[in-house]
Amino acid sequence: MTETSLSAAQTLRKTVEARLKVRHAQETRFRAYGLVAIFIALSFLAVLLGRIVTQGYSTFVEYSLTVPVYIDPARVDPADISGANFDLMIADQVLARLGIKDDDFGTQSSKVMDILSNDLGFQLLEKVKASPALIGKTVTVTGPVRADGALYYKGEIKRSTPEDERKLDNAQLGWLDRMKATGMVSSGFNSGFLTRSDSTEPEQAGVWGAIVGSTMMLLVTALLAVPIGVLAATYLEEFAARNRWTDIIEVNINNLAAVPSIVYGLLGLAVFINWLHVPRSSPLLGGLVLALMALPTVIIATRSALKAVPPSIREAALGVGASKTQTVFHHVLPLAMPGVMTGAILSMAHALGETAPLLMIGMVSFVPGVPEGFTGAATVLPVQVFIWENASERAFHERTAGAIMVLLVFMIVMNLAAILLRRRFERRW
Amino acid sequence: MIHQSDEGPGPATPGDAIKIRARGINVFYGAKQALFDVSLDVPEKSVTALIGPSGCGKSTFLRCINRMNDTIAGTRVEGRVELDGEDVNDRSIDPVVLRARVGMVFQKPNPFPKTIYENVAYGPRIHGIATTKPELDAIVEKSLKRAGLWSEVADRLQQPGTGLSGGQQQRLVIARAIAVSPEVILMDEPCSALDPIATARIEELIDELRNQYCIVIVTHSMAQAARVSQKTAFFHMGKLVEAGATGDIFTNPRDGRTQDYITGRFG
Repeated sequence: MTETSLSAAQTLRKTVEARLKVRHAQETRFRAYGLVAIFIALSFLAVLLGRIVTQGYSTFVEYSLTVPVYIDPARVDPADISGANFDLMIADQVLARLGIKDDDFGTQSSKVMDILSNDLGFQLLEKVKASPALIGKTVTVTGPVRADGALYYKGEIKRSTPEDERKLDNAQLGWLDRMKATGMVSSGFNSGFLTRSDSTEPEQAGVWGAIVGSTMMLLVTALLAVPIGVLAATYLEEFAARNRWTDIIEVNINNLAAVPSIVYGLLGLAVFINWLHVPRSSPLLGGLVLALMALPTVIIATRSALKAVPPSIREAALGVGASKTQTVFHHVLPLAMPGVMTGAILSMAHALGETAPLLMIGMVSFVPGVPEGFTGAATVLPVQVFIWENASERAFHERTAGAIMVLLVFMIVMNLAAILLRRRFERRW
Repeated sequence: MIHQSDEGPGPATPGDAIKIRARGINVFYGAKQALFDVSLDVPEKSVTALIGPSGCGKSTFLRCINRMNDTIAGTRVEGRVELDGEDVNDRSIDPVVLRARVGMVFQKPNPFPKTIYENVAYGPRIHGIATTKPELDAIVEKSLKRAGLWSEVADRLQQPGTGLSGGQQQRLVIARAIAVSPEVILMDEPCSALDPIATARIEELIDELRNQYCIVIVTHSMAQAARVSQKTAFFHMGKLVEAGATGDIFTNPRDGRTQDYITGRFG
């Protein structure tokens, strides 16, 4: 009797042990799947970031030329300073320093002008205009080398390419080499990329205008979408009766969150531009359209944050005689705040990177400056990326990657702000 | 409209005035009826215990007294609950005022996630009972003292209420209820989440508080009902089976179901 029961126990144990192997194998397998998935995700991220950084870091290196220019009174008429050809004066100066004699047709100097930015000429013009006493003296100017020259320094334009297939001929490459060797050209951090706005000349183009535009537009979006979204969600979640109407509203909000963003662009075009006559390509217009787009997300995030607040807190507040409004605004909403903030900032980050609806409302225009207020013409970072990527000049493509880097930094800063805000609100229990 | 149930309101403890008079209470959660024609008198300045198996409707009845059932969508309450002769369901009664008069302590300690001070001061502040800081300080101190918590928290009033132990949290919640000077305190299984020592502490407190307040307590523990209450009402399947002086109910129940329940045959 005891023997049989013992053997029964042993068989049972064996069955369990045999099964155990399968169970362990299962667990190991699932862990491996998880690790592989994470590895794949991380490598995609690494490839993406790596490509952007390797392509874009050179945007932040600038090659600038420093040259003293003698302002020849014979070539500058004090009565018509703007009429003088400062570019040519600079080119002649460079030629003289390189020890090259120009011919009568000025072919050499025009080739020099091709590798120097016209920014130098503008700088000289501004200086002389500001103080005409400089005529007859020597003025030193510092400015970027033209984008193609910079591409040569960066190795993007190679000597090995047949001469007729590249934008710079052998003579120009030789000059660039000598200018660098003699110290006329020095490299440094391209702060101009961060402080200048869009330009037709790649070496003078920067993202400052787009950064300001993005900030202004996000400000409009946040000021509209967050309060409206939070209040709508609070009403729906805490005050509204549950009936067919609120069900319909809920379904619609969920559907709106999934509507392709370009549709919001069309809506903005029809409503804000054609009907309300909001100035096109302005931060106000962009902000309005993106606020519409962000609203469903903010509402959904806020509602789920409110749902997560334990009902015992509501009972506690109601139990001491707080009114419904007091319960919500003194207790429930503050507790839901971290979730609300996260939702709001994530939807803002989404809005920051949105391009399609902005193309519909005319934000894809060339704006060579910082927007003049909320109704002025503006461009924003993702649209700037789009514009540069479509540009024909090769040097703009490098700027595209640079602008993407700026955009990513902008987003990281926003997400950091979200985390910090969340921590702050959480600490208040 | 006054309905009289078969059992009728139990006899009040002799000499005590009636604080709460419930007549013909029917409660529906949607289509489901949770209470059937309950009538009960609750005496002033004493502890009334509501006992019965889970889902018998005792908490539902408790929540009729301060209209907490209003907060649950789809709930319908019929009948009349009088507080000092006034119908609490009357249109002229604002539930906010009612809940200041009828405080409530819940099953799970639910202090606000704020400081100990804020927890107690919140009620007086929203009702405008105290406006200046010294007035508020005095109320906080008085309430915490009455809840027997002052000596333990006097030096850490600015710390979170949620950082206290379960028993302390429950006493904090009682202090919070006391702070608005209620007339009635409803307790919904206040000790079910506490250990025996914390429970004993709360029971002592209930015994002290009964000199000043009308207390209605829902409890699963018959021993607790016997220890703290002067009157006991036994609920079963949404009906009030029997109510009377606690001593009578426990020693000499009239109904067979009461007898079965208190002797532990079901529940």
